[in-house]
Amino acid sequence: MTLFTRLTFLGALAAAFAAAQPLPKAETILDRYSEVTGGKAAYQKHTYETMTGIISFPAQGLGGKLTRYATAPDKEYSALELGPIGKIESGFTDGIAWEKSSILGPRVKSGDERDQAAREALFDSQVGWRKIFPQAETLGSESVNGEDCYKVLLTPPTGKPETRFYSKKSGLLLKSTTTAVSPMGEVAVEVEVSDYKNFDGILFPTQSKSKMGAQQMNMSITGVSFDQPAPAGTFDLPPEIKALVNKAAGK
Amino acid sequence: MRQPTRITCGKSNRYIRIVQPTKSRAGTSIAANPACAALALIFLSSPIFAQLTAEQKQANLASFETVWTTIRDKHWETNPGGLDWQAMYAEYRPRIEAATSTEAARAIMRDMIGRLKQTHFAIFPAAVYQVLDADGTGDGWPGFEARVLDGRVIVTDVHQPQSNIKTGWQVLQVNGADLAPLLVKLRADPAIHELQLERAVAARLSGPVGAVRSMVFADQNNARVLLDVRLLPPRGEFSGFGNLPPQPVWFESKKLGNIGYIRFNIFLDLVHVMQEFGDAVQQCAHCNGIVIDLRGNPGGIGAMAMGMAGWLVKQPGERLGVMYMRGATLNFFINPRAAAFDGPVAVLVDGSSASTSEIFAGGLKDLGRARIFGTRTAAAALPSVITRLPNGDGFQYAVANYISQGGKALEGNGVVPDLEVQLTREALLAGHDTVVDAAIDWIRRQKVSQ
Repeated sequence: MTLFTRLTFLGALAAAFAAAQPLPKAETILDRYSEVTGGKAAYQKHTYETMTGIISFPAQGLGGKLTRYATAPDKEYSALELGPIGKIESGFTDGIAWEKSSILGPRVKSGDERDQAAREALFDSQVGWRKIFPQAETLGSESVNGEDCYKVLLTPPTGKPETRFYSKKSGLLLKSTTTAVSPMGEVAVEVEVSDYKNFDGILFPTQSKSKMGAQQMNMSITGVSFDQPAPAGTFDLPPEIKALVNKAAGK
Repeated sequence: MRQPTRITCGKSNRYIRIVQPTKSRAGTSIAANPACAALALIFLSSPIFAQLTAEQKQANLASFETVWTTIRDKHWETNPGGLDWQAMYAEYRPRIEAATSTEAARAIMRDMIGRLKQTHFAIFPAAVYQVLDADGTGDGWPGFEARVLDGRVIVTDVHQPQSNIKTGWQVLQVNGADLAPLLVKLRADPAIHELQLERAVAARLSGPVGAVRSMVFADQNNARVLLDVRLLPPRGEFSGFGNLPPQPVWFESKKLGNIGYIRFNIFLDLVHVMQEFGDAVQQCAHCNGIVIDLRGNPGGIGAMAMGMAGWLVKQPGERLGVMYMRGATLNFFINPRAAAFDGPVAVLVDGSSASTSEIFAGGLKDLGRARIFGTRTAAAALPSVITRLPNGDGFQYAVANYISQGGKALEGNGVVPDLEVQLTREALLAGHDTVVDAAIDWIRRQKVSQ
């Protein structure tokens, strides 16, 4: 056997071996992610989170800033100030998902849209992913920007599933795809994340590029801080939302 | 998900329409006469235009590549118009290579995009830009609004009472140039849309702020009146939207008796216009009805139509229509406001009401929520983009399709008023706006019938 033939044979053997290797279970991949980004203890020591970022829609030449407050177990408030569109606020409090904007006014989310908001509001979603995704399955391997990844399908009890791509090497999440639901319809969303940085013991991806249908949105996280309580009343339902909730309840 | 927005407004040339080649009567007569037919064949076999230089030929090829690739990548269907787009390339590329003039290359590209059988796909010569955009440099305006009515430029509204100009006067000349030949030229070109015609006229009346335009009018007795008109700063506040250059935006609302009247020039300056629209509706909670005047409104941010409809529709779960884009289908849904108005609503439109104006008017008409007065709209509802090709021509392409709630495409059809009413010079001279009058009359009759 010539050297070349031997190398080819070894290469083929290695490939066959690799192909024969069982894929890790989805829960192993997801638990590894929470470990490599800080670990259970680091996540669980916090009860408040404040995040700031800059958002841009390059094709439209639009940009703005995002502020998000979250607290355990599942309260969330976000404000996106997008130049000529104005302020778009959204939140999740006491099981109620809502949105308020200059264009459409106040509205209470329902159905899959509400459930999606509830999942996003879960404070310990990295460690406690089992609470929101009872089914998780490793589908295979796929490359994301040249990096080998495990492809994991996460299925919530209701609504659209989410596919995530975790680096085999680092264990970090590099990409996710899902379908966003709103009264305007369903839109395929693909998000690529990068530039993980350490904020008080937890790694956060600080850059993201999202494709939503034909739209592209870029986000840059400028700051993450913990345990500084949000300003008083941040998580309270706005009066217009309360009015809608009361009206729906017949009060 | 954040609500997507859509930009459809912009310069006048955004509304150039597809012109399908039509058979001319001259062609028929030539075919019927053998001698003429032979002569025509000789002419056809001879190059009518000068031979292309290598650079021009390359520019035409590059233009074809731009057009073909753009439609392949940006059309809302992966098989645009149900066509095998790759096969179209194989068919048309050799024809472009063989084209002996820019005119011939343009005709071949027009033929290709014509097979889409969809509006908002057009190629037009660079010369169109020159005719449409001439003179319109500067933000100044003459302090009056003018429209083309029955082939004449007529003053429809005066915002500078001390100018002595009256509603209903005809504008005959600006700086020594007669407007009539311009109107004849533009109206004779089927590629020129009414909206563009209005913009071309407006460009002649505008210029740098503070400049003086010498204008000749025909007054109520058709006597010639010569006036030097100093151009004023634009009405409203400048507002941009992303890459869209800032444009003046104004909003007005008033009461006509116990009927609300709302008018704004463009769906832009979202935060302020939405706020003012909401305030105007709420201040009219006990009105007999509301008139929303969208005449001359070229559209703007599509999502604003949804938001405004929320002030006029109480029933949840309604929508104005559906927009189809590549990778997404968007419902123009209506989120009813708590203080939504539930009285009669009249929407006024004309041939210069385009895009978001049509989405708003068409959707409310289809829902049975508004009665539409005026003349048929521009039939230009699609979000489209116009770009310059390497050979200098303009290329317009649409990136979405829109179907109104009634199931009809607004594109190419427009919104047909429930009651067609023409604005006339005679009525304006008498101090009346026939379209507003018709809407008010209808609202009053609704009140009586209640």
